[in-house]
Order: sequence, then structure tokens, then C-alpha cells
Amino acid sequence: MKISIRVFASLRDFMVPSLELNLLPGATVGALLVELCRMYPPLDTAIFQSPGTVREFVNILKNGRNIHFLDGLVTALQEGDVIAIFPPVGGG
Amino acid sequence: MTDTSERYQRQLPLIGETGQERLSTSRVLIAGAGGLGTTIATFLTVAGIGFIRIVDEDTIERNNLNRQILYREPDRGERKAEIARQRLVEINPEIEVQALCTHIDDQSIGGMVRGMDIIMDGMDNFSTRYVLNRAALRQKIPFIHGAVNGFYGQVTSIIPGKSPCLRCIVPHPPSADKVPIIGVTCGVIGSIQVTEAIKYLTGRGDILTGRLLLWDGFRGDAAIINVVNEPDCSECTGEWAGERG
Repeated sequence: MKISIRVFASLRDFMVPSLELNLLPGATVGALLVELCRMYPPLDTAIFQSPGTVREFVNILKNGRNIHFLDGLVTALQEGDVIAIFPPVGGG
Repeated sequence: MTDTSERYQRQLPLIGETGQERLSTSRVLIAGAGGLGTTIATFLTVAGIGFIRIVDEDTIERNNLNRQILYREPDRGERKAEIARQRLVEINPEIEVQALCTHIDDQSIGGMVRGMDIIMDGMDNFSTRYVLNRAALRQKIPFIHGAVNGFYGQVTSIIPGKSPCLRCIVPHPPSADKVPIIGVTCGVIGSIQVTEAIKYLTGRGDILTGRLLLWDGFRGDAAIINVVNEPDCSECTGEWAGERG
């Protein structure tokens, strides 16, 4: 199944701003992140605090919904989902 | 032509006499008089917003001057909100500006936002942004969120009851550490925030409700991602137990 990924802000230092990935049916957000980190190894420390634990302030939205309000890393993906990943900025 | 209509002559074709009248009778709270706040205050002032309340407890430091455009070298050590007030009424004597040199927290915010038509986010930390978010939800006042870090920025317009709140979009705040900031990014993001305010107040255009604009000045790219209201967001229902992160 095809999943669209868009990343923003400093995460763009580590990978392309957007891409599409073909994942096996039943894949989760966690599996998607692992695949991205395999493709772009420097992304790993930018996203993960430790293996399996995403840095708290890294926002991951599935079709506009923060996975914090879904099932976190085990949130299931479906064909055509759009995943947006951004570390929010906080200065002013 | 009156002095007033001459001042706004070039924007009247955009918003009309009625729109200008709406701006002149509007009351706007600017929370923070830093990089974002001074940009926001400047453009609200020249647009002709009738009443501006600008709040900041800090004093002007030399390292503010790369981005906080209302301040000058001799202002160092002076209170930001008061100097901002003085500069704003020099720029446009037809408006009223009130300076509050005070701390913003859950106790003080209620009185600050009461009677305001819109709340502008000029803060430099998320814990105070969540205070503004809660006040906006409680008093049903639109809250125009903006934030910056380096060449990156974000903007969204939170309309209570119609759009996701700030906590729906950013449930966990970024680190409160000081971040690199350059004036141009404050200028871009603050200007977009004021564009949002003018559109909301005059009822024109499409505002960024349910949409988060992400600015990447480093790559010359702006993107919008759709965001939705979260039924389980404790902030929207007032059940958030306390700050995290």
C-alpha cells in the first residue's frame, strides 16, 4: 500500500521533504518510521529518543490527526494515508 | 478626503469603508512584545486597529535588537510593552494602545482577554501559549498562533468551537530552551498572523482554521497541513491535568 510522507523544519536536514513509500498491508506508523530511518540513518536520533520511543515533541500526524490521540506508534496505516512529521517551533 | 481616509486610502480597495470601520472598532490583545509581537503590533497599528493591548513583562536587551523592530539602542533596560506603546502611537496617533508590563499566567489572563476581539500569539514559549489557548477557548475568542525557530515558522488560526485548538495540534511542547531566531522569520510569521487577524475581523478571505501553515525560509517553501479537532483533547474540554514536557 502506498503512503505519502511529508516532513518539515529541521527534519528536512536529514531527508527529502516528501516521498511515497510502498508498505505491506497492516504496517504501522512505527514500521514506517523504522523504514524511514533505515533509508535516512541520521533521522533516527532526530525522531527517536530511544529505540521504540519517539521524542515527545516530534509531532506525527496521520491525515491531520496527531498519533498521540490515536494508537501512537502502533497506529495502523491504510492505503493513501498522508503522514506529516514536524518538530513544532516554539520561539517568538 | 479626511486625514483618516487618506491614511488608509491604499487599503480601502481591499477591505472597503466597512472593513476599515471594523478594524477601527476592533480590540486586539498582543501577548508578547518580542520578535513576533513587535512585528504583529506594527502591522496591526498601520492597518488601523482601534485598540491594542500589548503585554510583556521583560525589559529590552541588546540581543533583542536583531528582530524586535520597535526598539532602539537607547531603549536598553526600558520596559518592552511601554516602549512599544510609545512607538506605536507615534506611528499611528489615531489608535489607542495600552501597555501591560506584567506576567501572563492562568490567573492574570482572564482580565487581559476580556472584551478583546482577537488574541495574537507573540510568545516565546509553549507553556504560556497553552495559557492563551485555554483563555481563548474559555472566552470563545479567536487565537492566532505563530511561532518561529531559525528560518522555520508556523501559523494557525484557532477559532473556538470551529477549529482544533493548539493542544489538538501540538499535544507536547517543544523544549523551552532558547532557540536561534532571525528577524526576517519573525517578520514573515508575524505578518501572516496579522493577515489572518485582518481577514477575520473584516470577514474576508479564507483563514487558516483547521490548517497549519509551515514556513521554511531556508528552502523558500510554505506548506499547509490539514489538522482536525481531537475529541480526546483534554484542553478543549478543560480537563487537561497539567503541563507536560
